[in-house]
Amino acid sequence: MNVTYGGKNGDLPDPVHFDATDGDIRGWVTEAVRGGNIPGIDADPGADFHDFVVDRFEANDARPHRLIQLRPKTPFGDHEARVRAAIDWATVEFANTLAKLAQ
Amino acid sequence: MMEAGVVLDLDIKPFYWHLPADRTNIALPDSRPLWDIIWENREKIAGIAHSHPGGGIPGPSYDDVTTFSAIERALGRRLKWWITSADAAIVAVWTGPGPITYSSTPCTELEWMKTLRQVSQRVQGNEGIEKEQDHDHAGTDSPGRGEGECHIRRQER
Repeated sequence: MNVTYGGKNGDLPDPVHFDATDGDIRGWVTEAVRGGNIPGIDADPGADFHDFVVDRFEANDARPHRLIQLRPKTPFGDHEARVRAAIDWATVEFANTLAKLAQ
Repeated sequence: MMEAGVVLDLDIKPFYWHLPADRTNIALPDSRPLWDIIWENREKIAGIAHSHPGGGIPGPSYDDVTTFSAIERALGRRLKWWITSADAAIVAVWTGPGPITYSSTPCTELEWMKTLRQVSQRVQGNEGIEKEQDHDHAGTDSPGRGEGECHIRRQER
C-alpha cells in the first residue's frame, strides 16, 4: 500500500488486502498518516484523504506483487454549473446576433 | 468546445498539454497519467490551467476546488490554478482558512491562453486531431514546452 502525501511517498508497514474497499483503505491511511506510522511521510494530525483515489495494479514482470496506491483525484468540471454557464452565454450570443440582424 | 488543461512550469509556460481522449465539453475526467506528470515534475511546475465553456468571468466549481486541494495536499505545497473562458481568465489560489477556500482574481491574458482556447474548440473525431499522450516528452524536449505551442498531431485514418 503506497501513499503520496505532503510531497513525500511511503508504504504502509503492513500489507492490506487487495480487495479491501476504497473507504477502508482511506480510513487506514488516514489513521496511519495522522499517527506518523508511514515511514517517509511526516505525521499530520489533520491529514484528510477524502478526495484521494485508490488505484490497484496487478503484479507484473517488474513487480512480482500487487500494488495499491492512494493519490489525489484530478478531475476538473462541474456538469450542472457549466451547462448553465454555456447555455447562458449561448443565449446572450444568440440574442446579440438577432439584434444585429434586426438592424 | 472540449475542455482542455495545461500544466505550467515555473516560468508560467506550457509544460504538458492535458487533452485526454475522454474529455467532454463540460469536464476533464480523473486521470492517473495527469497525476503521474504532476508528481514526476513536482519541483518544476507552478500550476495548472483548464478551460471552461462559454464566456464571462469563470470561477472554479466544487469539483475544481476539491481537486486543487487534494493535489496540493499530496504535493505538500500550493499551486496556482488558472481558468479560462472564451473571453476572460482568472487565477485562483488558496487563501484559507478552510481547506477548499480559494480566491480567484481576473488575470491578464497570457500567450498560452490563446492556444488553450484553440485546443478547447477542437472536437476529437471532428477535425482528426488528438493529443499525443507521450509522457517521455513532458518536461524534457516536448515540442510544446515553453513555446506556447500545442503538442498535437494529425490522427492517421
